[in-house]
Amino acid sequence: MILKNRIGTAIAVLTLSASLFIAGCTSKPSAEELRQLNDLKAEVTSLEKQIAEQERVKANLEKEVAEKNGQLKQCQTDKDAVKKATGQ
Amino acid sequence: MKTKIFLTIVLALMFLIDAPSVLAQEMTKEQWQQEMSQFTAKRNDLKSKLDKLNGDIKNLQDQSKKLDGDLVACNDELLTLLGITQAEYDAFISELNGYESRVNELMRLSDEELLKYRDEILKMNGRVNEMAKHKMALIPRINDRLKKLQDNIASLMKTLDKSKTYTVGTWAKDRDCLWNIAKKKDTYNNAWMWPKIWQGNKDKIKNPDIIKPKWVLKIPAGTELTKEEKSAANSYYKKKAEAAAPVQ
Repeated sequence: MILKNRIGTAIAVLTLSASLFIAGCTSKPSAEELRQLNDLKAEVTSLEKQIAEQERVKANLEKEVAEKNGQLKQCQTDKDAVKKATGQ
Repeated sequence: MKTKIFLTIVLALMFLIDAPSVLAQEMTKEQWQQEMSQFTAKRNDLKSKLDKLNGDIKNLQDQSKKLDGDLVACNDELLTLLGITQAEYDAFISELNGYESRVNELMRLSDEELLKYRDEILKMNGRVNEMAKHKMALIPRINDRLKKLQDNIASLMKTLDKSKTYTVGTWAKDRDCLWNIAKKKDTYNNAWMWPKIWQGNKDKIKNPDIIKPKWVLKIPAGTELTKEEKSAANSYYKKKAEAAAPVQ
């Protein structure tokens, strides 16, 4: 019985020691470093949002420019036809 | 028993020591460095992508601005060539849009319903024909629209012509002759329009003085005689005059 108790105690002490060793000796980033990482992640998210928005703006502008090019081409065709018809 | 209590305390201590790191999913310094370099590279990529996008947007804005100027200049030149003002141009386009939309509405009506709009269609036909002679019709796309509109109105008028008929009665009972038929309220309400009935039914009427009972005559749409109808009427009056002249 006494032997059993001692074995149990020994196991417990060993486990506790190992646990303390593992938790204490692993190298971890500091709070400041973790904050840096979080800031970086937030910056990436913000940049992704900005890019999505600017891509939308660009698509609209491309459409607008294409429409205006079409209108200009149409106007030039009209002008040429009128010139031809009026002999100018 | 004592051992059990002791073991429980040891386990609880272990939990207290390791739990915060497990719950916070705490990373190792190595993992932190890995993530830092990964996110730094991503941020740099995104920044250069954003810079490029902003550059593209600036170029497009400049292009758009330049196109605005070119368009204004081109339109001004076109108006000068046509000898009209922007207000006249806008009014013409607005009128054309209005007729197009009205004709589309009318084209959806049944033949019977369409008869109620006879006068409006005739008026519209006259106005669109005038518009087709306007300088604006020199612009091909306007000309195309006017031609399409004229075709649609012609199709409406065809429906009207098809729809309106008159069945000739007898002279004894109805006093039906082209003059009297044209005078009726539900035909032209104008006796002088009789040549229109004659010319619209040339397949049946060879001599405008002779129409036969039970003939179904088409009553062509119109408020005025066409050139051909007037000319036919003049020849008729001339022949009549010659026939009536005393023989010398």
